[in-house]
Amino acid sequence: MKDFLRQNGILLLVIALLLSVLIGISSAFLGGQADPLSNMINVVVTPIRSGIASAADWMEGVYTYVFHYGELEAEITELRAQVAGLEEQVRQGEEASRENEQLRELLALQARRRDFVFESVKVTARSTSNWESTLTLSKGSTSGIQAGDCVVTATGVLVGVVSETGTNWSTVSTVINTGTQIGGIVPRTYSAGVLEGDFSLMNEGRLKLNYLPQGAQLVSGDEVLTSGRGEVFPSGLVVGRVEGVFTDPSGQTRYAVVAPAVALDSLIEVFVIKDFEIVE
Amino acid sequence: MTRRDFIHKWFVYALGLLPVWVLDAYILPRYPLWGTVPMLLPLAVAAVAVLEGAYSGTGFGLAVGLLWELAYPGGFGGQVFFLALAGMAMGAVSQYALSQSFAGCLICSAGVLGLLDLLRVGLRLFINAAGLTALLQVAVPEFLWSLAWTPLVWLLFRFIYNRVGGTKLA
Repeated sequence: MKDFLRQNGILLLVIALLLSVLIGISSAFLGGQADPLSNMINVVVTPIRSGIASAADWMEGVYTYVFHYGELEAEITELRAQVAGLEEQVRQGEEASRENEQLRELLALQARRRDFVFESVKVTARSTSNWESTLTLSKGSTSGIQAGDCVVTATGVLVGVVSETGTNWSTVSTVINTGTQIGGIVPRTYSAGVLEGDFSLMNEGRLKLNYLPQGAQLVSGDEVLTSGRGEVFPSGLVVGRVEGVFTDPSGQTRYAVVAPAVALDSLIEVFVIKDFEIVE
Repeated sequence: MTRRDFIHKWFVYALGLLPVWVLDAYILPRYPLWGTVPMLLPLAVAAVAVLEGAYSGTGFGLAVGLLWELAYPGGFGGQVFFLALAGMAMGAVSQYALSQSFAGCLICSAGVLGLLDLLRVGLRLFINAAGLTALLQVAVPEFLWSLAWTPLVWLLFRFIYNRVGGTKLA
């Protein structure tokens, strides 16, 4: 056995073990910051990854244009109708906003505001594993991105939270990933809970709103937003809609299954919220 | 074999790994089949270990493990040792028990993929992350879909082996 191991790479195996321990220790101690070796590799790989992502996005665009032209035309017509409706809502909203401002002045209330500092980034890679749901972004710590920053779409829908950053790249743990924990609220009933990724639901592209109050009267279709509790994540970001309410096997707590509002498999560009200030 | 031949041989193997890595990391995750993405890197280790034997299998496993660990998100270090060990085991099994053929590669690939998924399922059961049924719903399609890529990976590395493998450059 000893001879066999000596002839067949025991030294290499020892090196592999030492490297495993080294990587394990460094990743455990560095938290959200990538270990130096991973960072170095990813700094080199990021331009290649961005190039491949851009080429693949372009080819998908051409494919959609050639083979789904009719669907695109129908979608444009539908969107034009939606824009007309939304323009009307904006006009009404502006009027209500002016009235609200006047009333606040009369009552000497502080004006509500939501200030976000965004960083626009490209999605360069998607989950390579079936056991987690992550996205790789094209910018990292040099652009001021830190672990724990929220990532949203252009329409303010929550995508996930930055879990690891390197020099010019970062990894996002999506809302459906196991280990995700964000305060959530259903504004219709003001029922608050904790949004959590669940392994069984992750593969269906869903997540849980856990620890709901006993009397919460949620119905399918209710919108779920971030609650902002703890002030770690901004409040009011759209997460998704309730699909159903269930009681956990212990019978103690109730939870809702939430379908995210974001299509995680077709994201091209997202925005990282680097800083925020919300005055309610 | 001279040092130069040795470097030439493993440079060509590294070039062969490049398309496998690009497919595995950047192309296939965009187009999952019924929500499942295959794992191609263990298949590359299996193919090279079967063709080149235990010693080279260990070295190639170590290199691929490092790539998997460092260039992919969510690594914790264990994959370097696992793939080096798997490379050694598969190389030895193909040398002494199986043949250095596609059938041997298929059996070794099934073994390494099965063990990898078994470890993942076991770990998640241990930390109570999910029930066995839910875990198997991920592990079984992943195992089968990954195994389906064995012929392509085998053909690629077999092609390289026929040109620079073994002691052909010596």
